[in-house]
Amino acid sequence: MTQILIGQIILSIGLACIFLIRPSVTQTAGWKILAFIGLCVLPALCIVGGMNIQMQRSEQTQFCTSCHAMAPYARSLYVDDPSYIPAQHFQNHRVPADRACYACHADYSIYGPLKDKMRGLTRIYMQYVSTPPTTIRIPGGYDNHQCLHCHAGARDFEENAIHSATMDALKSNQMSCISSGCHDTVHNVAALDHVKFWRPGQ
Amino acid sequence: MTFRNLGFKWLLRVSSALIIVGLLVEIASLLWFHPLSFVLFAFVGASLIGLGIVVYLASLVFVASPKGEKHG
Repeated sequence: MTQILIGQIILSIGLACIFLIRPSVTQTAGWKILAFIGLCVLPALCIVGGMNIQMQRSEQTQFCTSCHAMAPYARSLYVDDPSYIPAQHFQNHRVPADRACYACHADYSIYGPLKDKMRGLTRIYMQYVSTPPTTIRIPGGYDNHQCLHCHAGARDFEENAIHSATMDALKSNQMSCISSGCHDTVHNVAALDHVKFWRPGQ
Repeated sequence: MTFRNLGFKWLLRVSSALIIVGLLVEIASLLWFHPLSFVLFAFVGASLIGLGIVVYLASLVFVASPKGEKHG
């Protein structure tokens, strides 16, 4: 996909170079049509294709963890302890390993991807322009719907006595899935120096 | 100085230059795997390409004369 887009970009650059060097060629009808394709249609398609690839890329685990601030969170995915919720989801492929961050942190509403992108841009602004926070927190707290997106309706989830007793509170976000006493060990990056790590393939 | 005085050829050159630079930035953003590459693409590359397209379309509307005058 990226290679096709790069090919299309190179073709657009080639056409634009012709009109940069010899704009007088646009006197004839054929060249006028070619100018419209080279300076309007193809560049517009390059923007659409580029945005599509960038959006898909931003869903990848590798993309999130390429940011310096996310490095400890990436390490926490390899903690050898099943009580670490992100680690056990990642290691057991309960979420796609190549989209692990996105699977649990995406906003699944209609404008979710746009909101996610705006949140990501806010983080980049804080990192490079203003002051980055010492502790990274999710604005508004963790939304249970991100868990329920997969778990709601699953037999072992629904048949669990605690889940069924608290289902209304979980669905309305009055009680958090990661509240104390439940699934409260999440990334826990402060304790990473004192835990054992899983090494894939060993 | 009006838009028409700038001349069709000059505007075509500006449009082409903006699009070329924007597309080169887009290639760089596609080859660089980092959160900042999205910013580079969205705020620099796409803006330059978009501006180039607007300049080209504006040159068609405001400069390329409907009366059959020769281009700039």
